Amino acid sequence: MTVLGANYRRDLGIHRFPVLVYALTVLAALVLQAWLPRLLAGHAWFDLPLVVVVYFSLVRRDPVQGTLMGAAMGLFEDALTHHAIGVNGVAKTMAGFLAGSVGVRIDVENHTVRLLLTFLLSLLSSAVYVFVYRVLLGLDQQWNWVMELIKAVANVLIAMVLFPFLDRLQIRD
Amino acid sequence: MESFFVRYRNFLVLLAVLLAQMIGLAMQVRLADSGHNSLDLPDGKGVRLIRLWAEAMVAPPERFFHDSKLDAGLWWQNYVNLGHVRDENRDLQKTIDRLRLEQAELLEDAKEGQRLQALLGFQQKYVYKTLAAQDIGSSGSDASRVFYIDKGSADGLVRDMAVVTPDGIVGKVRDVFPHTAQVLVVNDQTSGAGVILETTRTRGILRGNAQGRLQVEGLLSDPRIQRGEKVLTAGGDMIFPRGLPVGVVEGVVPDPDRDSFIDVIVKSAAHLDRLDEVLVITSFEPDFPPGQQHDLATSVALKGADAQAIKEQQIREQQIKEQQKEQQKASDIMAERLPGLTNPNAPAPNPAATLVPGKAAQPGPAQATPAQPPAPKLLQPKRFDRFSPGAAPQPPAKAENSAPAGQGNKSASKPTSKPASKLQPPAHPQPAHTERNPQP
Repeated sequence: MTVLGANYRRDLGIHRFPVLVYALTVLAALVLQAWLPRLLAGHAWFDLPLVVVVYFSLVRRDPVQGTLMGAAMGLFEDALTHHAIGVNGVAKTMAGFLAGSVGVRIDVENHTVRLLLTFLLSLLSSAVYVFVYRVLLGLDQQWNWVMELIKAVANVLIAMVLFPFLDRLQIRD
Repeated sequence: MESFFVRYRNFLVLLAVLLAQMIGLAMQVRLADSGHNSLDLPDGKGVRLIRLWAEAMVAPPERFFHDSKLDAGLWWQNYVNLGHVRDENRDLQKTIDRLRLEQAELLEDAKEGQRLQALLGFQQKYVYKTLAAQDIGSSGSDASRVFYIDKGSADGLVRDMAVVTPDGIVGKVRDVFPHTAQVLVVNDQTSGAGVILETTRTRGILRGNAQGRLQVEGLLSDPRIQRGEKVLTAGGDMIFPRGLPVGVVEGVVPDPDRDSFIDVIVKSAAHLDRLDEVLVITSFEPDFPPGQQHDLATSVALKGADAQAIKEQQIREQQIKEQQKEQQKASDIMAERLPGLTNPNAPAPNPAATLVPGKAAQPGPAQATPAQPPAPKLLQPKRFDRFSPGAAPQPPAKAENSAPAGQGNKSASKPTSKPASKLQPPAHPQPAHTERNPQP
């Protein structure tokens, strides 16, 4: 009964987008994440790919899609760094899966809930990143949690603008 | 079984994706000799392929944005914002004239330095060839301080080339793609550069910290290290040439892990957070234009001629000294072998003058009397003959009145016992027989 209820809510609230919107949004997020820090004195105080992953996972209400999208974008981000490929992938895979799982059970139309989820998943992604890097891989790297908090707030600010914009691009029956 | 996969499809997909990534991560990390894990510095084929794909997707839009920004900036500067252009042009012309003079002076200094370096046999490397490149993008993460430039292996870039700006060092080329390259900035935590403090000559390794600041870690506490001291590259890391500016000391903090050690915080000379155009050092070999090469060849030839002339002069002086020494030696040998060939009329050496060098001779009774003529020194001949001193040949008439031959031979065989001082000088010769054979 619970499963049926969940599927019912999911079928009711599922958002669909043109394929071009998917592709361009993902590509734009990756390119801007790599290019915008040049304009911000080299500081990447945001995580555009994570915001995009959270949004599409929430509105699609599909943990599998969120998992795969998070893994793909995380691996792509890792490929642009000089670190091991997969650290960001694991972190964003977790974030996408949780966003898709939560999206089944909450009202994704509520903007405040989406922003709160973005904030929490940003912190979770940073925590998973540090865990994988320092604990699982045993690599030595200093970490600044204040910067991660600032990054989470910045992601929320970006989401406040980006989510309504992407809502307008969805396919309406 | 089917219901199991359907029911737990989401978790199974999650586990599969996580497991695949974990395996991939494990293949990229190895246990270093120091006991700590480290990443494989040269990427594996699979990893490099993923990086190549990602770079191929991101680089074209980044180039487009970069060129668009440049085009927009040029359009604004060339067609809209033309205020004060004449004043700027006048100032720039003055600057060009001044820089031309400075360039001429510096060129002469460089030539002189080149000659001196060749003379002294220094092996210090200079930066001779650089390639200008544009910063077109970054990694997008504060944990990885790398950026991408618009030059790659097609332009001759290879791994571990130094990247600098006129202000100071920036980083090194970490990965090279066909038309782009990844540069690891010196303020990254995994970066490292050998540096030396200009005044105290303290050496250390420059690294970045989590905040992206430069610091030299693990130095022994030294009160001489003060704020504002310049930091230069030491040249021992085989990447950066020696003597390039790195920055200045911004502060000194104690090492949190070890007592009596300090960390020196360095303020970068290059604007690492606002890089636009950088220079990649592609060669340390001399690559002068033809005019400068001709000048250098002329100076080298002149230097060789001077050296040859000096060498010939030294050889001549050496030969003269050897000749003088041989002559002196021959005269000494002659003097030793012929001790009797002394001038009998030469004055006797003053013994007082040869007592102690530098000590005045004491006046004595001998000096009060006038000097006597030196007594001639005659050797005693082993066998007296007619050639002996004083044995002049006798006239034939007197020979008949002389003693018998037997007596004469006997007396002649006896050596004379008269003192030599009583002999007459050659100017007043006496007959030999009157002395040797006195008449009764």
